[in-house]
Amino acid sequence: MPRLIFKSSNGDKREISVEPGTTVMRAAITHNVDGIVAECGGAAACGTCHVYVDECTLAKLPAPESNEEAMLDYTAEPRAPNSRLSCQLKVTEELDGAVFVIPEKQR
Amino acid sequence: MEPTVTLEVTGDLNGVPVVDMDPFDLEYLKRPQSAWEDLRNVGPVAWLSKYSHYVLSRYDEVKAAQNDWRTFTTTGGAGMSDIRKPDNYRPASVIVEVDPPKHTDVRKAVNKVISPPVVRGWREHFEADAEEMIGNLLQRGRFDGVRDVSEPYVLKVFPWSIGLELNREQAVAVGDLNFNGLGPKNSELLAKAREKVAPFLEWWHQSIKGETVKPGGAGELLFKLEANGEIPIGLAGGLVQTFLRGGLDTTISSIGSGLWLFAANPEQWQLLRSKPELLRGAFDEVLRMETPIQTNFRTTTGPTQVGGLPLEPNQKVQLLLGSANRDPRRWSDPGKFDIARDATAHVAFGNGIHACAGQLIARLEFDCVMKALMKRVASIELDGEPEHRLNNALRTLSKLPLKVTLDA
Repeated sequence: MPRLIFKSSNGDKREISVEPGTTVMRAAITHNVDGIVAECGGAAACGTCHVYVDECTLAKLPAPESNEEAMLDYTAEPRAPNSRLSCQLKVTEELDGAVFVIPEKQR
Repeated sequence: MEPTVTLEVTGDLNGVPVVDMDPFDLEYLKRPQSAWEDLRNVGPVAWLSKYSHYVLSRYDEVKAAQNDWRTFTTTGGAGMSDIRKPDNYRPASVIVEVDPPKHTDVRKAVNKVISPPVVRGWREHFEADAEEMIGNLLQRGRFDGVRDVSEPYVLKVFPWSIGLELNREQAVAVGDLNFNGLGPKNSELLAKAREKVAPFLEWWHQSIKGETVKPGGAGELLFKLEANGEIPIGLAGGLVQTFLRGGLDTTISSIGSGLWLFAANPEQWQLLRSKPELLRGAFDEVLRMETPIQTNFRTTTGPTQVGGLPLEPNQKVQLLLGSANRDPRRWSDPGKFDIARDATAHVAFGNGIHACAGQLIARLEFDCVMKALMKRVASIELDGEPEHRLNNALRTLSKLPLKVTLDA
């Protein structure tokens, strides 16, 4: 099972093992990772599951579809080149070791 | 009583089972669940001989098609008729019926005017309207969940947020036409809807002009984007119409269905009151149980496969969202209204690039109405038989007599 690492803005680190097939957002919610709100339940419609993705992982991810791309402009913390909505990120074996930095604010 | 619709497998099309059933039959529209079940059991995809199109009724297949605009495009129209063909030609919806790259800028414009911060800013206003309306009704004790709650509430807050005003008759007429239009061209329901909407067509065309939109709403913002050259000329009007098409009947449906489901399942109302944090998930459960837009269509862009069976290019594919949301392959005890289950994966809002852009508004409306009731209402009961307003694609109540008991 791929391991995902979540880092909060105050430096706390959580590592979870996740079955492939779910989304990074859903995995975080299931494991009670703080700071992922996901107000809309995973539809790229609220921008409250925003994460900053480490560079190596970013390159492995498919580019955002237009709905995610558009919503990334409305995250509470500023959008960066490595910003993604975690509800749109499918967990695959390839993501083993991926690091997601959770922004301080989601809304 | 058993539904009168029966399902007969009459042959196969390159392995895809051919069935002789009409998902727009009035009996089917009245009680679709059992026909859905038959269809799901036929296979991951079926071919409807009456209309010559494919139909997907299982959860996984419907969701996969929603997520794959490259294979299952909306550019052939969201309804049964291929809008690109001369006989059916009509201009495409400026957002629903376009794909990337064109779709991307339009979606960005929409997200700008109804962005999460914008919608959160409406809460106070939406809450105050719900409090006032529900407060008046609770004094009466008996009221109709549709005529007194879902319709007047949505027709008050939603047009306000765009900067328009419209009455119930206009809204119902436009909604009936819009959603019946997703079904067959020769449908009786569509013919009736056309008659009813005739007196309002001039108003409808006016509604897309900048001068009728009041300042302060999302509509005005769209026309400003157009004036500044940020979106193409003509787009703002098309989007205002899209907001009205997509934002009224759907939320009227969900609030009405929600009240119905709570009245019919009193233990769920007790549970919600004891655990108010379940309200967010309750909304998803309502959409799963009584999916407002029951069906819409895609068109195959090339040869493809569903569940290992081959689909031909340029064919209409009907997605049965309501059926997917009750597929026992995905949901345990799918006919049970259970607000504690995680129903967020329902397909009622769509998925992928065409997923509903206004869902935060829908959530906000449901949230405000329910919270106003949760404060004081000990129990909600049915006070007569609910009735549905039959429509080719929309599942919505027309009558919902309710009786409430307030906290002592």
